[in-house]
Amino acid sequence: MTPAAAAAADASAARLGRAPLLRVAELGVTHEGADAAAPASATFDVAPGEVVLLLGPSGCGKSSLALTLNGLLPQSVPATVTGSVAVNGLDTATTPVARLSTFVGMVFQDPDAQLVTGTLLDEVAFGPENLRMPVDEVLARAESALRRVGLWERRGENPDRLSGGGRQRLAIACALAMGSPLLVLDEPTANLDPQGIEEVYAALGELVAAGDRAIVLIEHNLDAAVSITDRVVVLDQHGRTVADGDVDDVLRGRAAELHEMGVWLPVSALAALKLRAAGWQLDPLPLTPDELRAAVEDAAAPSAPAPAHAEGRSAHAEGRSVRGLTEDDSRGAAPSRSVRGAGGGGGGDTVIAVRDLTVTRGRTEILREVDLTVRAGEFVAIVGANGAGKTTLLQAVAGVIPTPKGRILTGGVDPARTDLRALSRRIGFVFQNPEHQFIAHTVFDELAHGLRQQRLPESEVRERATEMLRRFGLESKAHVHPFLLSGGQKRRLSVGTALVAGAPILALDEPTFGQDRARADELLALLQDLNADGTTILVVTHDMQLVTEYASRTVVVSDGRIVADAGTSAIFADDHLIARAGLRLPPLRRALQGVQRHPALAAVTRLAELGADA
Amino acid sequence: MSVATFDPYASTGAARGPLHGLNPLAKLGAPLPAMLLLVVVRDLGTPLAFLVVAYAVLLLGAGLSRLLLLVLGVAVPAAVAVIGVGMSLWADAARVDRSVEVVSIGAWTLYGGALEVGFATALRLAAIVSLALVAGLTTSGPDLVRASVQHLRVPYRIGYTALAAFRFVPRFGHELDVIRQAHRVRGAHGGRGPFAAVARWWGYIVPLLAGAIRHAERVALAMDARAFGAHPDRTERHPVPFRRRDVAFVALFWLLSAAVFWLLFPWGLG
Repeated sequence: MTPAAAAAADASAARLGRAPLLRVAELGVTHEGADAAAPASATFDVAPGEVVLLLGPSGCGKSSLALTLNGLLPQSVPATVTGSVAVNGLDTATTPVARLSTFVGMVFQDPDAQLVTGTLLDEVAFGPENLRMPVDEVLARAESALRRVGLWERRGENPDRLSGGGRQRLAIACALAMGSPLLVLDEPTANLDPQGIEEVYAALGELVAAGDRAIVLIEHNLDAAVSITDRVVVLDQHGRTVADGDVDDVLRGRAAELHEMGVWLPVSALAALKLRAAGWQLDPLPLTPDELRAAVEDAAAPSAPAPAHAEGRSAHAEGRSVRGLTEDDSRGAAPSRSVRGAGGGGGGDTVIAVRDLTVTRGRTEILREVDLTVRAGEFVAIVGANGAGKTTLLQAVAGVIPTPKGRILTGGVDPARTDLRALSRRIGFVFQNPEHQFIAHTVFDELAHGLRQQRLPESEVRERATEMLRRFGLESKAHVHPFLLSGGQKRRLSVGTALVAGAPILALDEPTFGQDRARADELLALLQDLNADGTTILVVTHDMQLVTEYASRTVVVSDGRIVADAGTSAIFADDHLIARAGLRLPPLRRALQGVQRHPALAAVTRLAELGADA
Repeated sequence: MSVATFDPYASTGAARGPLHGLNPLAKLGAPLPAMLLLVVVRDLGTPLAFLVVAYAVLLLGAGLSRLLLLVLGVAVPAAVAVIGVGMSLWADAARVDRSVEVVSIGAWTLYGGALEVGFATALRLAAIVSLALVAGLTTSGPDLVRASVQHLRVPYRIGYTALAAFRFVPRFGHELDVIRQAHRVRGAHGGRGPFAAVARWWGYIVPLLAGAIRHAERVALAMDARAFGAHPDRTERHPVPFRRRDVAFVALFWLLSAAVFWLLFPWGLG
């Protein structure tokens, strides 16, 4: 530790008046085969009972940092580590992971990858048993941990029977049962649906209220995380600590700077930044939906038409104007979002027609008497609670699953009667995990496969595949095995393979599941561009903010039926419908829907309607 | 029992009988000599005798359940019939007893000797499987692991890792389904016949393995983070004792096995 860093750490410990539980000093991690360290130099302390939110742009090494906190890195995951991490004064690079486990409990992203045994009770007892605790103590710890996350009543069940949120709560209980004063959670809600996220944060909220555990939280879903956070540590893109302070200092005080750096902010904060740029006085910066609503209720609308932007192309296209918020297109910052055919009105020709479709699996009806029409150039989101049938609907339209004949027309043909080669010229399907659909040994062949299937001459195959490579930024990777691409590149390639045969319709199943915000944004920007060029997009997703930002039209599926089908803003204006379908309002809607003083704001659903970036 | 519903952790079935109270190692060890010797017998009587013994032990000891009745009443007899007939047809007619002709179609004749060979083989397999079911239908995965760790000095790291690996099975089943769906949509390796099928399955292996390795790494990290392998042993909340009744069960079963082999002496040396 350099004197400077030591001094800073001491100062922070002194400020808190407590000895730090965790001390990270100038931590650098270089993975085997990587040329740069990520993080490069992270420094921060965590005091007992403190909740620290760790933020940083994609690729800054947050997850690597998490693994160093209990010594898994470098002890189980080989990497070169510089600087130091000490928990309770123990160096995590040299103290055995098993010993550290009594000081640091870990919760990982994938709930399925944390299960070992056959019942909830055995699962929670697994850690204490490994520590050779007496049986009474094991049971006492297991009971207390399960009770704290509300799963004690289900202790005899197989963890497979829990929902995603339930399994992640179980993982938290398992970490609690280790008795460690520090919990580290690495993207604990990235694989969960909105209901699961709520469950996990309800459990974490109670934990924080009890105050007996310190928490280091890495999370991209800040809307939920901010409410339990004491302190925020921000790493820059190289993984150097650039901010360390309480929520007010860092998130409220330096929000614009963080946003610039590529750190994801709560949606409410992003909205407030845009409103500020439009001339609103919002001080301090609101971070949660409740704070944002209160802040705009207190604020007067900017008197003079503020230098915002846009005779709201996006807003206007849906027949709504947000005057006083978004005028003046001088900066040309208006999003190029296309909303042709919003709400099914106007727009191009019908490209998908579903009539009275019923799909059964075994004896269960997954879809019942579904009707759906999609016009060329639309961007349609299909949403619904788990098991509502939304993925089945998408798969039926794309011919991925067998369907009854004569119920669907996709690009003018019935998927039930059309061979896949002909169908791939009309609709492309992108699976949740891009790796599942790779079939060739090079990126080039992956793209060429769809063209060769069309029996095109090899020269044309080469030409069109090369064009696709260029379009998706993969030229330099043409001869790489698809599995060796980065996550974002794999995703782009999977979209490319779906489109290469010339399909004018693209169907995507949960394309942002388990991904960080930056990669999700990259994909959505790509889809937006494709949509602007005329590709019809259908997407199934749980991410309501994503839906409101990008989809012009939303189809709500509930219990096998389409219960609503309208323009996205109309759907999310209907609280009753959203609740009935088991959905959650996106954060921006939650903040603005009840606003009394500014009716124009109360109707806003997407950030873009609030104006350009700050 | 399909992969999708197979739960190695479940305490086996609602019905419980005396067999559930025995040590899993006793239930494995008792029929083991008979199972090994059955591999080398050739007659009909010995496997039939052990089939009766296994059925008796299971029906009396395992507690009646639908699964048990289906296995003993339907699955095993059906397997004996299918394998018996199949093996009879397959047996080399030149090397069997040709004194009895059972069916004759044109130049082809099914001899009684062939049937005898076929059904001897089928009964032998059925007897071995039924004896294995004594432990298989009345023991849960964790109990077997615990008993092995406690009495056979199997390192618990291996036992519990194997148990964790069972969790992979349904997950991979599901993942394989999705991969097959995705490859079908992409039109990968279409066509019929064994070569296309091999090419198709080969294509599933890379994504499946990539997913499997990643998953295994994550599970290993999660287990390490919970102090797995920290000490030479770990707390055992469920001791699986080897009691006097286990000794008695093994001794009786061995005596019975010896008696059957003594009486029927199936090796034709006498």
